[in-house]
Amino acid sequence: MISTENTIIKKLRAFRWPLAVLLALAASALFLSLTLKHGLGNSFLKNGDWYTSDSTGSADADVIVKTVVAIGGLLASTREDSMYYRLSSVAGEPLRLNCRYRIEGNDYDANWWSITAYGWDYYLIPNGEKRYSFNNENLIRGEDGRWVIHVGTNQQEGNWLPVGPSGTPIEDKSDKHDFDFLLRLYTPGDAYLQKPESASLPTVTLEGCS
Amino acid sequence: MILLRWIVAILLCGWLGQYPLAMLVPNLVMERVYSKIGEVADYNQLNVTPRVDENSRWVVRPSPDLLYASCLYNLEQGSIVISAPVPERYWSMQFYQMNTDNFAGITNQREQHSRVGTQVEVTLVGPDANPAEYSGKVIQSPTTRGIMLLRASAIGDHSQAKSAIENSSCTVKLKHVTS
Repeated sequence: MISTENTIIKKLRAFRWPLAVLLALAASALFLSLTLKHGLGNSFLKNGDWYTSDSTGSADADVIVKTVVAIGGLLASTREDSMYYRLSSVAGEPLRLNCRYRIEGNDYDANWWSITAYGWDYYLIPNGEKRYSFNNENLIRGEDGRWVIHVGTNQQEGNWLPVGPSGTPIEDKSDKHDFDFLLRLYTPGDAYLQKPESASLPTVTLEGCS
Repeated sequence: MILLRWIVAILLCGWLGQYPLAMLVPNLVMERVYSKIGEVADYNQLNVTPRVDENSRWVVRPSPDLLYASCLYNLEQGSIVISAPVPERYWSMQFYQMNTDNFAGITNQREQHSRVGTQVEVTLVGPDANPAEYSGKVIQSPTTRGIMLLRASAIGDHSQAKSAIENSSCTVKLKHVTS
């Protein structure tokens, strides 16, 4: 009996290095996935609920920024051309399709800007209105220039940004949020280039959930 | 005790290994996009993208407020020339190498506003070429392959931007043959 066990142990020892390499590779993939999901705060700048990076697209970007951008924002420009702010949760709660949100703002120091809703799969969200975004020129504004965008699955008065299920099968979903917003500022002014973490941005609030 | 040492060593290698693995991801993603677009578009030619919508799934996060055209370049056989009229509203020509770095770009914004109304002509040369041998605006790509992306604002009246994108080109530079 002891002799049989010794033979098994000997055989296992012969494979210990290939097995260790495979396990280390699997562990690397697992750690990377955790870092990408939870490491936003370390590699990205936070401004309210919005996240950005001042090194997007740049050769100076750290490896995590480059990886996040490659997966969820490929072919992004460097900040002198455009800055990108992403929001996928409000006060820590992921954006959900069963909730309604309100985006409020004014004008921003940039040549022009837009806010787009994307599904969790990073593509535009299918909707009957074929409306995926608002920009500084097509928003209905108040007399003071301020505007409100209503976000939800059901039609609303004013600036309604429809959301719904993403085009990719739900089985592939691994993120907590159902959709997110991307604010693009083209040719951003100094406030965004110098202090992206405190520059003026739209506010997003949760109006209610069903 | 020996088993514990193995587990600690594997976890440590796994933790450190995530960084080289992360460095591979941008290259892998770019290779995938390059070959995916390459299945429907020729290399070293301009590919004008129809106005994006929910069915636009070539590259993540397409902007519905932009008009796009791209050129998948391969400089193995020599340089290429990108020619583009510059519209009045926001426009940019950006160059990406295969690790996703936006290594060069020109726009009609800020100090480059004087480009508006002109025809930009850029010669893109490979990493082994000598840029001094070329005339005009020359950009050197750090990699033999990559993607050039034209963007133009599609908000408001975008007829001029549409015309500019459609009248742009990306062609292999003809070598001068002396007899």
